[in-house]
Amino acid sequence: MVSVMAKGSLKSRSPVKSVRRWRLVRRVVQVLSLLLFLYLLVGTQQEGNTFIPHDLFFRINPLVGISGMIASRQWLTPLVLGGITLLLVLAVGRAWCGWICPLGTILDWTPARRLHRNQLDISPYWRQVKYLILFTILLTAILGSMTLLVLAPITMLFRTITSVFLPAFNSVVTTIETGLYHIGFLQPAIEWFDSLVRASLLTDQPFFWPNLVIALVFAGVLVLNAVRPRFWCRYLCPLGALLGFVSRSACVRYSVDEARCTACQRCTIVCPTGAINADKGFAASSAECTVCLDCVAACPTEAISFQRQLGLAAPQRYDPSRRQFFTSMGVAVAGAILLRAVPVLRKANTSLIRPPGTNEGQLLSECIRCSECVKVCPTGGLQPSLSAASWEGLWTPALIPRLGCCDYSCNSCGRVCPTGAIPNLSLLEKRQKVLGVACIDQERCIPWADGLDCIVCEEMCPMPQKAIQLEEAKVANYHGETTTVLRPTVIEDMCIGCGICEQQCPLDGEAAIRVYPVGNINS
Amino acid sequence: MELNRREFIRQMLAFGFSAATAGTMFSLLACNTEDITKTVPISPVSPSDTHLVVVRGESPTALVQTALRALGGIEQFVKRGNDVIIKPNICSAYHSYEYAATTNPEVVATLVQLCLGAGAKRVRVMDNSFAGTAVVAYNRSGIAEAVQQAGGEMELMSRMKFLETEIPEGRDIKKWRVYTDVLDADVLINVPIGKHHSLARLTLGMKNLLGVVVDRNKLHINLDQRIADLNSLVRPTLTLIDAVRILMNHGPTSGDLNDVKLANTVIASQDIVAADAYAATLFGLTGVDIPAVRAGAQMGLGTMDLGRVKVEEISL
Repeated sequence: MVSVMAKGSLKSRSPVKSVRRWRLVRRVVQVLSLLLFLYLLVGTQQEGNTFIPHDLFFRINPLVGISGMIASRQWLTPLVLGGITLLLVLAVGRAWCGWICPLGTILDWTPARRLHRNQLDISPYWRQVKYLILFTILLTAILGSMTLLVLAPITMLFRTITSVFLPAFNSVVTTIETGLYHIGFLQPAIEWFDSLVRASLLTDQPFFWPNLVIALVFAGVLVLNAVRPRFWCRYLCPLGALLGFVSRSACVRYSVDEARCTACQRCTIVCPTGAINADKGFAASSAECTVCLDCVAACPTEAISFQRQLGLAAPQRYDPSRRQFFTSMGVAVAGAILLRAVPVLRKANTSLIRPPGTNEGQLLSECIRCSECVKVCPTGGLQPSLSAASWEGLWTPALIPRLGCCDYSCNSCGRVCPTGAIPNLSLLEKRQKVLGVACIDQERCIPWADGLDCIVCEEMCPMPQKAIQLEEAKVANYHGETTTVLRPTVIEDMCIGCGICEQQCPLDGEAAIRVYPVGNINS
Repeated sequence: MELNRREFIRQMLAFGFSAATAGTMFSLLACNTEDITKTVPISPVSPSDTHLVVVRGESPTALVQTALRALGGIEQFVKRGNDVIIKPNICSAYHSYEYAATTNPEVVATLVQLCLGAGAKRVRVMDNSFAGTAVVAYNRSGIAEAVQQAGGEMELMSRMKFLETEIPEGRDIKKWRVYTDVLDADVLINVPIGKHHSLARLTLGMKNLLGVVVDRNKLHINLDQRIADLNSLVRPTLTLIDAVRILMNHGPTSGDLNDVKLANTVIASQDIVAADAYAATLFGLTGVDIPAVRAGAQMGLGTMDLGRVKVEEISL
C-alpha cells in the first residue's frame, strides 16, 4: 500500500489529501485488525468455529515462530506464516507495529504524554533494552526454554484478556444480572441481554487470583505510556526489536528533503515512537519508525516522504553492538542455568496436573504462554500457573480440578494449541490419557468420616466401569445407631485423574477427594 | 458449580466493586418490593383416578403417541397458547443416546410435536447438565437436533434464574434454589430415562427433577427424602419415562454398551410415584425398593401401590 504511494511520490499529487487518506486507511486497518483479534479470541471456544484459523495472530508472529522452532527443535508448519510478516517488514518497514499489532493499537489509544518542543528524549540508549530482551529470548530458546515469551506482545494481550478481563467481565455482569433479576419487570430485558452475551463473551471462567499478576504486567505496559507514547514499543517489545532489526533494510523508508525542511520540529513531536532525530537533520531511524505517516501529515512544507531506498539504513547510536549481544548471551546462559531452565538441569515437576497428553519437558519447550487453552477450557479448570510451575514454567497451563475438571467430553485444548505443546488428540485418545490419580481423604470424606451417604464422586466418575467403587459398611452414626453407608474407594488403575470428583465434592473448602500427579502416588 | 458462585462473591469484592454495590442494593430493593418465594400451581393427583399407561414396541415415536392417546390425548394436558417446558435427562455430554445416559431424542421430539400440535405457544427443552457443558450435552445426546427439527427450543439454563424458593411441604429441606421458569410454566413434562444410580438405586421421574435446581450435590445427604421434598414443590403435569433403552449399571454417566438393555417401553402417567414404581419393575425391583419412591408415597405425592392404580398395558 505504502509502496504504491511512494512510487507516485507524495509531492507530485496533492500530497496533503493523499496522506490524509492513507492515515485514514491506517486507522481503519488498525481497527479491523483489533476487531479481528478480538473476534478470534472470543471465537476460541469448545464448540466454536472461526472462519479463519483462531490462532492467526500467533501464526503470523515471527517471534513466536522463530523462538518456538528453536526451542522445540521442530519444524512448526503453521508458524511459517510469520515469514509473511517479515516480508512485509522488508518491504515497508515496521508497519506491523503501526498498522496491525493489536497491542500497538491499544497503546495508540491509551493516553500518553506528548513531548514538548525542544524537550529531550529519554536517553536513546534505553532503546537497546528491547534488543537485549530479544537476544535473551532467542538464546534461552536455544537452551530449550520459552519462558521469556511471556514478554511477546500478542501472547501478553491474549493472556490478559482471557485470564483477567473476560472472567472479571463475567463476574461483574453476572452479579448485576442476578441482582436485577429479582425485579420482575426487568426480567425480559435481562434475559434478552443475557442470551446476547452469555454464549460468546460470558464463558464460565472463574476468576483465578494469581492471574492478577498478569493484569499488573499489562497495566504496567499501559501506564508506561504516561512516560512516553508507546513506551512499550520503543523500549521493551521484543517483537518490535526483531521487526526493527529487519526493517533497517526495508525497501520503502522515511526520507526528508533537507532543502524544504524548516526545522520546525513538528515531526519530532508527533512521532509516536520518537524515531525522528532533530540533531541529525531530522533523519528517522527506520528500526523505530512504525510507518504511521503522522510526520508526513504534520510537515508544513511537505519535506517528508516515504520513498523506495536500497541498502541498509544508517546505523544508530543505540543499535545493539556485538558486545551487547555477547553480554545478553552471558545473561541468558547464566540466568537459564541458575533458574534450571535448561532441559538437562530440570527437576521433574511433580506438583502440577498438566493438560491431557502433555509431556512436561515438551510443554516447557513448546508452550508460548498464549493461553489459548485457558480460553477454550469449558470448565475453567485450566489456568496459567504462576509460581507452582517454577520460574521457567511461568504461565504454562495447569489444571486446578477444584475450579474445574478436565471435561471427559472435551479435547479442545489440544485442538487450539498453536504449537502442539498440548498434543491434538481425538476425543477417544484423550480419554485414555492419565493426568493424575484421585485420592480420598478419609478424615474428611462424608461417608468415611461422618457415616453419612454421599457418593457424588462415584456418580460423577466418567469412566465406563467407574474408577470409584462403593462398598457397603455398617457404621454407628452420630446417634449411636448402626446404619449402612456406601464408602467410596478409588481404583487407581482405572482413574485418569480428570478431577470431576474433586470439583464436585460437596464439602466446603478443599475437597475430600483430590487429584495428585501420577508420580506422587506411584513412587 | 458451587465453587464458581463462591468465586463470584470473592470477585465482587475486588473487581465488581461498584457492580457489587449496585447488585446488593438491587437485591435488597427486590427483597423489599417483591416476595420472591412462591408456591406453585399444582396438578392434583387423587389416587382414585390414577391412570398409568405402559406401551411396548419398537418405534419410540409410536410409543409416545400411543401412550398419550391412551391417556386421553395431549389436549388433556396442553391447551392452546400454553408455555410448555419439557425436562428430559441430559445429565452428561459424554456419550450419544445409545449409551442410555440421556433420554431418547425421538421420544423428546415426539412430545415437542404433540405439544405444538395441541397449540402450545412455546415448547422449551432443558436440563442442568452436570458433566460437560449443556451445549455439548444437548448436541451429543442428539436431543438438540431432534427438538429443533420438531420446532422446539433448547434453552440453556441461566444461573440467575435459579431463585430461592420455599418448599412448604418439605420435611428435610424447606427451601432451595429452583429454576424459576420451570415453576412458572403452564405445563411441565418430565421425561426421564430409566437408569441405575448407586445411591438412589434408580434414576427415574422423581430424581430427574434434580435437574431443575442448583447445588444438587448438597442434596445427596438424605437424598431420598430430599428428592421427595423437591417433588412436593415441582409437580410435573405429566411424567413419561423413556425405557426404550435402560441403563442397568454404572449410572448415571454410562459408557459401556454392555450395561444397556433394550426394553422398548414407555411409561406415562400424571402420577410420578406410580410411574416410577412401575418403571422399577423393569429393573427387577418394585417401588418399595426405591427409597425416594417410598418417601414420595409417604408424603402423598402419588401412589406407590400399583394394585391401586389403573394400569393400561399396550403392545404395538
